[in-house]
Amino acid sequence: MLPIILAIYAGPEEQALIARLQHRDPQALAELYDSYGRAAYALVLRVVRDRAIAEDLVQETFLRVWNRIHLIDSGKGAIGPWLLAIARNRAIDYLRSSAGRERNRIELSEIEHAPLYREMEAEILISDQARRVKAAMDRLAPNYRTVMELAYFEGLSQTEMSIKLGQPLGTIKTWVRTALQSLRDELGVAVPS
Amino acid sequence: MNCDELRDHYDLYALDIAEGPEPGEIRAHLQRGCEVCMAGMKRSLETVTLIGAGAPWAEPSSQLRRRILASVGLEQPAGLPWWAAALAVAALGVVALYLAAGSKQYEQTAARLRTEVREQTAQIAGLTEAFAILSGPNTTEASFGGAQPRPPQGKVFLNPARGVLLIASNLPRTPAHKIYEMWIIPKGAKPVPAGLFQSQEGRAMHVQSGAVDVASTAAVAVTVENEAGAGQPTTQPVIVAALPVAPR
Repeated sequence: MLPIILAIYAGPEEQALIARLQHRDPQALAELYDSYGRAAYALVLRVVRDRAIAEDLVQETFLRVWNRIHLIDSGKGAIGPWLLAIARNRAIDYLRSSAGRERNRIELSEIEHAPLYREMEAEILISDQARRVKAAMDRLAPNYRTVMELAYFEGLSQTEMSIKLGQPLGTIKTWVRTALQSLRDELGVAVPS
Repeated sequence: MNCDELRDHYDLYALDIAEGPEPGEIRAHLQRGCEVCMAGMKRSLETVTLIGAGAPWAEPSSQLRRRILASVGLEQPAGLPWWAAALAVAALGVVALYLAAGSKQYEQTAARLRTEVREQTAQIAGLTEAFAILSGPNTTEASFGGAQPRPPQGKVFLNPARGVLLIASNLPRTPAHKIYEMWIIPKGAKPVPAGLFQSQEGRAMHVQSGAVDVASTAAVAVTVENEAGAGQPTTQPVIVAALPVAPR
């Protein structure tokens, strides 16, 4: 859990770091790696379960950030969550292609849409959300935790989870919704209704 | 669909597990900068990002950092183990020796080519002189060796302004440290040295440039002398071309 928390709770120099990356300062990439490299690796490894592949995907992630850094707002962008989203998407992409699974309905790159990560960092820093999410995950009922892990770490759609777990699709949707609501309760964020 | 209808699907979209028409609708809202959907999606992405906190701790290899930085030109790729480095140094040494040997070979080749160029330049200059003598309107020629069974044979050409040209064949190989020396023999006077030359496969062409008094020349002769040449003939002539003074 620690790497992710460290990633989310980055220091105040974050915006300066983004600006330096946008000015193609390679040393800034080194600092970015020192901040988020382990977090990205832990996340990707959890998805692909292969160290060599995980390292390849993390390298790909950092290069993607390096090449698209101009898309993020240097004044308000949250590079940590953005980078981790890219890392997760690279890993899920790999998992799907290696398993011959059809790509999901959403282009993963859309979730990497940089403007979505504006001012995210500040909100996350307000409360100890990461720790609470972890605690919430631990407290989830096994079936809820399972659907969250299948969704997040394996990228399974609700239909795929239904088949995998042998549960009706409606049940899976309920579990997913309940699990997310529990997590939001821990975060103190109102569930959209 | 309006934003209220899409709110329940933000989390699923952020997790990339949304199905049905909603993902396309959310995408359209985001693409047109819908503030409600942007805010909802941002909140969902926060949650989704934090779910990654469940990933167990894992440490990447030290090579990964190097690889990433090398890919943008900041650092060299992972360092070599000592034995590989030693092997690389040894290989570089071999390459350096090879290049040095090659360099020496190139120098030798260049020197040989320079010599050949000099020789060919001299030959061209000689041929130019020879052509000038042969084509000169006042050139006089004389033959030699025609009466002997296998004597040196050939002709001499004398041009008052250009000099003397000797063309010979059937020339015997000179002994070691010996050379052919041409003489211009004036009427009633001592032979005048007219240059040294060697034969190649029994043939020779020799030019003595400079003005020559053809009218007062009795003959052109060739003797075999020491390599340094002689002031006066020391051996019997192998060629004697007597000039019948007759302008061409």
